[in-house]
Amino acid sequence: MIKRKKCVAMLLAGGQGSRLAPLTNSTAKPVVPFGGRYRIIDFPLSNCVNSGIDTVGVLTQYQPLELNDYLGIGTPWDMDLRFGGLHVLPPYQAANGSDWFKGTANAIYQNIKFIRQYNPEYVLILSGDHIYKMDYSIMLEEHIKNQADCTLAVIDVPLEEASRFGIMNTDEKGRVLEFEEKPKHPKSTQASMGVYIFSTEPLIHYLEEDEADPTSQNDFGKNIIPNMLRDGKRMYTHLFKGYWRDVGTLTSYWASNMDSLGDMPELWLNDPDWKIYYRHSFNHPQYVGEHADIRHSVCGEGNEIDGKIDHSVIFNNIDVEEGAEIRDSVIISNCQIKKGAKVEYAILDAGVIVDEGAVVGGPKEGGQLAVIGRNVHIGAGAVVKPGESVTEDREGV
Amino acid sequence: MNALGFIFADSVDGALNELTEKRTLGAVPFGARYRVIDFLISNMANAGIRNIGIATTGKYDSLMHHVRSGAPWDLDRKRSRLTFLPPYASFNGGGTYENRLEALQYHLQYLKNFSEEYIIISGCSYVANIDFNKILEYHKSTGARITALYRNSRIHRQQELSVMEYKIGEDGRILDHRNAEILNEDRPLSINAYVMRLDDLIDLAERSMREGKHSFRRDLFFPMIDSGEKVMGYEVPGAVLYMDDLSTYLKNSLELLNKDVRDNLFHVDGRPILTNVKDSAPARYGDNAKVVNSLIADGTIIEGEVRNSIIFRGVRIGKDSVVENSVIMQESTIGDGVRLNYAVLDKNVIVQDCRMLSGYITHPFYMGVNEVI
Repeated sequence: MIKRKKCVAMLLAGGQGSRLAPLTNSTAKPVVPFGGRYRIIDFPLSNCVNSGIDTVGVLTQYQPLELNDYLGIGTPWDMDLRFGGLHVLPPYQAANGSDWFKGTANAIYQNIKFIRQYNPEYVLILSGDHIYKMDYSIMLEEHIKNQADCTLAVIDVPLEEASRFGIMNTDEKGRVLEFEEKPKHPKSTQASMGVYIFSTEPLIHYLEEDEADPTSQNDFGKNIIPNMLRDGKRMYTHLFKGYWRDVGTLTSYWASNMDSLGDMPELWLNDPDWKIYYRHSFNHPQYVGEHADIRHSVCGEGNEIDGKIDHSVIFNNIDVEEGAEIRDSVIISNCQIKKGAKVEYAILDAGVIVDEGAVVGGPKEGGQLAVIGRNVHIGAGAVVKPGESVTEDREGV
Repeated sequence: MNALGFIFADSVDGALNELTEKRTLGAVPFGARYRVIDFLISNMANAGIRNIGIATTGKYDSLMHHVRSGAPWDLDRKRSRLTFLPPYASFNGGGTYENRLEALQYHLQYLKNFSEEYIIISGCSYVANIDFNKILEYHKSTGARITALYRNSRIHRQQELSVMEYKIGEDGRILDHRNAEILNEDRPLSINAYVMRLDDLIDLAERSMREGKHSFRRDLFFPMIDSGEKVMGYEVPGAVLYMDDLSTYLKNSLELLNKDVRDNLFHVDGRPILTNVKDSAPARYGDNAKVVNSLIADGTIIEGEVRNSIIFRGVRIGKDSVVENSVIMQESTIGDGVRLNYAVLDKNVIVQDCRMLSGYITHPFYMGVNEVI
């Protein structure tokens, strides 16, 4: 019996994410924790499974240990299947040499065999650095209806920000006429989200052509898409209207975390019809103590909170002692905030200890984010100024 | 571990009134994210028990739905398996059992599948974090025929169902047994969990079936004690929360607000309590939320005030509401301006705006599954 999948997703998860340092110093960007209990990659993976796409190749390269561990065989996303499912695709050695992935297009090129195995009609290309909830099946329907060779998801951005994005100029039916990467004088406000659907045969054709071109940067945005446009292929946009954020920088990462707060959050994570699935780290429910005061925040599991928390995202297994104060901050798992310590407008990576009376960061207004790297110990009474990025223990005073 | 686990998911040890109207005690939600049976299955799995049978009588759909294949405990493997043993009719008996020895007799075929040397049998009307390895070691070292687990506790009022009190000798041996009266001091009380040799149990079950005997305690266990066989007692250390009615359920739930009890149950290295997962969002606190001395599960949205309470997954508490000394089970919605005190709200109830509901610690106010006020 010949089996095939209608659509296979390829998720580019190999990037270093250097602008997110120190969060990405020892791990890949897609597994950077997000929103109190998720990892960034949970969003595209959950979107896939919620959209009816159950076969995903995850292309890894940079610091893959934690990422591979987290993905496993895809069980958290119901992707541990007999036919299809989640597959981690690292760079590999072959008879004619071995190569790191040279660019986004080359990464897919090196895994054409994986795609062929499922013989799909369509290939969805995703990346592991955006926070969004999107139904890819609507985009796929449009792609099929338009008989497109390629459909690019776009969002409407404010005109003054358009020059930061790849901008699509289209006709009234959404067919792409022109693609401009970070144009100085944008002609439209439709920005590419880095989410593409290709019909399989044209995709493979252009990947092979691109590979044969030694001058190419092997990149979707710079090479594949311009080449297809040049040849007059049928390329359409799909306008996405929901929540979408690029979390490529520490400030945008911080801001997107904060979008999950409040009574009517922009990033609504409690939607029973569009769950974001994640790998669990079994913890008991959080205990909120006698002296606690938690407002305008989200908190994960296993915490023992007895301090004051305002407008913050708190992950799992975190101790916040009596008299400690946290404001406008993201605190990743296994941190300890001791008595009288203050954390304001800061990001604390996993395992940070802020000892008694230490002060991290400062007021958000006009200030800069303070960032503390993984497992760093800030001694009693020590001070971390706004804007500092600390990756080594700091002695107490 | 060289032992089989066998759990009685029945109502022989008592029922939590309204809470067990539609579900067996093991399936009663407990501790903001668990069910009562999670503790026992986790204890067994943590000890390295690879095969667990769960005998059920009635009302077991909720339990099966929760435990499913045993995946959270890695018990759905080729070499490790959790098996539900529901009642079934056959020409030589079957159907639902009244006594636990009957259950073992019905499921002799199941018991004979295993080469494990020992068996741990237990009811599931208590919550504890137990090291079964230590208990099995103790059992082996004493050479006892049966080791019976007990807790040291007192009883404040007469129970509908009898609770067994042991008389323990200096060497830990059980010398005598009786139905406990109201007790004002701690005494060794049975939790209906036993360790013994599997082949011995199979043999006893077969023999008693031929003799028309059906009660584990009356027909096997007590006669052994009375005839001077070596039956040892083992006191389960730490917190043992034994539940036999709605009031003890609420009391035991609020016990979790005590740090020692939490440490005892949840913070034991190598012995985590696992349950099945729901992929809920983290708990969200609104602008005017005020939470004090409470256990809060994930997926909750809290905009009002919560004190001394246990809040399960997916519960919403509206603005200006005050919830005190209560247990609110999963997916329930509390509107705005509500007052709750000493209430036990079952799954998925709705309390509309401005309702005031109150019970007392000995007589909690209860709302059933899916009810609306």
